[in-house]
Amino acid sequence: MSGPQCWDSHADPGLQPERTELAWGRTSLSILAAGAVFVRWMTMHGLLVGIPVVVSVLLATMVGITRKHRFHQAVRGVHIERLQPNIGTVAATAATAVVLSLLGIFIVLFVPSEPR
Amino acid sequence: MKIDTEEREESRSRISAWILQGGNEPDPRFTLANERTFLAWIRTSLALVTGGVAVEAFMADLFGPELRKTVSILLLTTALLIGSSSFFRYVGVERAMRHKQPLPLPWIAPLLSACAAVAAVAMVLFVLARPN
Repeated sequence: MSGPQCWDSHADPGLQPERTELAWGRTSLSILAAGAVFVRWMTMHGLLVGIPVVVSVLLATMVGITRKHRFHQAVRGVHIERLQPNIGTVAATAATAVVLSLLGIFIVLFVPSEPR
Repeated sequence: MKIDTEEREESRSRISAWILQGGNEPDPRFTLANERTFLAWIRTSLALVTGGVAVEAFMADLFGPELRKTVSILLLTTALLIGSSSFFRYVGVERAMRHKQPLPLPWIAPLLSACAAVAAVAMVLFVLARPN
């Protein structure tokens, strides 16, 4: 695989790689926000709340680390008219949303909160 | 080091080949558009998670426990449904594009509308039934 830098990142007039990367950025912010609201439960439900926080921070970090690679892949893909879909990251993101909502349901239904 | 990367790339494309079930790669712009659509759905799901948890965690002084629990579970269940089906929709659209078939029906859109309507109706009923 040759260096991706040899292609002009604005070769695509529709700015598809850039828009896709911005969408990933917005999504990782949403993930962090979703993880952050769980912190409110820390005093009531203790360490169980750590799971969604850790999961969301891990995924946001992963999206952040792979950012440059994904962008260059997209630029290269648009240039050579061939692009492998990003199934791994997409699956990890969907899994995170599922884990967060399942944990939320579990905590609301089954974990008794301490009396206020 | 280089071989490592190549092996990883190869095994990754084998997994995606298995998920995508053959066909030819579509215009990369369509693949990217599909990815952005998936991301928009997953953000919707994450916003519902945030809302569902927030209703239960932040509104203890405003609403009774039954209302909080009902609305919270409705929102979180919607988030679960949208979050999981958005992945299957992403894969379905990608497969259809690879085989030059029409795109599958976006049935998660009516699913989201229905769940939002149910949550809104529950809210209205609880507000009406609330003793002053």
